[in-house]
Amino acid sequence: MRARILLIASLILAGCGATPRPADPPRLAAALETESDGAKRYERGDYSAAARRFNEAVRIYISIDDISGVARNRRHLARSELALGRADAALLVLAAAERSDGVLALDTLLIKAQAQLALGRHEAAKQSLVAATDQCAGACPQLASVRLLQGRAALAEQRPADALAHAEIALELLRDKNEASETGNAWRLIAAARLAAGDATGALPAAQAALDIDRRQALPEKIARDWLLIGDIQRKLETRDAVDSYQRALDVANAAGLGDIAGIAARALAEANPAGETGRIQPIRH
Amino acid sequence: MSLLTEYDSDAATLRRAARRFLLAALLLTLALIAAIVVRQGLFRQTTGYSFVTNSAQDIVKGQAVRIAGFRVGAVDEVSLQDDGLVKVSMEIDADNMRFITHDAHVELRKEGLVGSPTLEIVPGPDKTRLAAAQARLTFSRADGFSALANQVRDEFVPILKDIKVITATLADPQQGLPGTLARIRATAESLNALLANRGHQLDNIGNAAINVLGRAEEDLIHFGQTLEAANQRLPGVLDRTQQVLDNVEKITAEAAISVPPALRDGAAAASDAREIVSGAKQAWPIRNFVDAPAPATLKADSDPRGEAGRAR
Repeated sequence: MRARILLIASLILAGCGATPRPADPPRLAAALETESDGAKRYERGDYSAAARRFNEAVRIYISIDDISGVARNRRHLARSELALGRADAALLVLAAAERSDGVLALDTLLIKAQAQLALGRHEAAKQSLVAATDQCAGACPQLASVRLLQGRAALAEQRPADALAHAEIALELLRDKNEASETGNAWRLIAAARLAAGDATGALPAAQAALDIDRRQALPEKIARDWLLIGDIQRKLETRDAVDSYQRALDVANAAGLGDIAGIAARALAEANPAGETGRIQPIRH
Repeated sequence: MSLLTEYDSDAATLRRAARRFLLAALLLTLALIAAIVVRQGLFRQTTGYSFVTNSAQDIVKGQAVRIAGFRVGAVDEVSLQDDGLVKVSMEIDADNMRFITHDAHVELRKEGLVGSPTLEIVPGPDKTRLAAAQARLTFSRADGFSALANQVRDEFVPILKDIKVITATLADPQQGLPGTLARIRATAESLNALLANRGHQLDNIGNAAINVLGRAEEDLIHFGQTLEAANQRLPGVLDRTQQVLDNVEKITAEAAISVPPALRDGAAAASDAREIVSGAKQAWPIRNFVDAPAPATLKADSDPRGEAGRAR
């Protein structure tokens, strides 16, 4: 007990002796605190609360005329909206940023391309990606993300070979970098591109690699999508494991409250195993 | 000789006294008879009146006849005429003739609902002409108990019919009391279910609040331990406190929809708690152990949600 009291007293004395850190102005401190709160919530997957925090941070930054803070938090807000599946809301946020900033930053262009892809606006997404590529001349840190988005755009336009090429380049760029989420995205894109190209056998290990990464990241939405992709591949391979994979996807989606993915998984499960048949699995119809 | 003379004198005195006594008794008897005769009205001057009725019920000879409640005469004769009607003759004191107008009528009344019947002469409105002697007056029977009962019955019958209609309506299984009670019962059951649901929600909130408090308590314990190694652990404790506040905020956000407004104060409480934590972060010496928030950078993720809700 005495040792504990001495330890506490010494810590207090150390605090007294430490050089006081210069404090930020209260409004700026509040803005930074709110932004930091939002980032923590985003990392925890609480995108709804994160969006509220970023929105509040935007308001505070506007009130102190901090342009970079406003732009940064608008990007955060748009990403939160994207994560919530509200791509149209994300585009609205980015439109406000475009009106105030004139030229969109590279990060903003990438988020805009994501939202456009999510809404099926492939031409607009390609334009955004062209602008992003122009800003990413050489070897910008976001090049892997640019490649991944280009790959997704190519896959959306039924160009699996191009998609595979972009994804493999992105994977190479991400090697030895602490970008687990993007690495998982690259593996998932490779798997989807291979599946679309008819290489189901090559797609399966790529999808499982994506699943391993996403499991380590504990990202339910991506884990469910990985299981769906694995189910598709197994169904293409006409193995009985497809039903189990779809069921895993359904379980994960239901547990995480992902209604849209749960619906997709339920439909895939019904198609692969109509009325609970135990015979030959139904192949995917393209 | 003197003895005989003396005897004659005494006898004469006795005879005289006897005669006086007999005379006084006779006078007294006559006075008594006269008084009785006078009391019986034998010497009273009366005037006869009559009326005709279709029934002699409740009318008898000698029955009192009254005006304004005072006895003024009596029924002298009740007789059945050739036409089947009953003629009733009355003898009224001449002194009271002045009350009997030409339009007066006789009414048979009862003292109370079940009392003895009496005949009452009711003067008419025209006071200028009196009824002539032996005049025939009109007659009526006042409403007795039977009439009153009939009247009551007449009044009650419609009420009873209304009650019957109302009870029939109430007894209607669809629109009446059973249906209404069934609907009230269904509403009450719904209300009970709603209240039970709300109670369950409140229980959940209460449990969540208990959990939050429990976690806050744990955080406080951690905070005490963190002082031993503050520069390593304090930020983590504060992060956990933020999580607790997140939970409180979630609960209050749900409460804003599902529980009474009083519980919405939880949001304000969470906000206050957040301010306290923020204040604690900025207070000396804690601020020396906590990194000041810097502009946040989110990890790159080019595929947070997939395309248009499609998972693949």
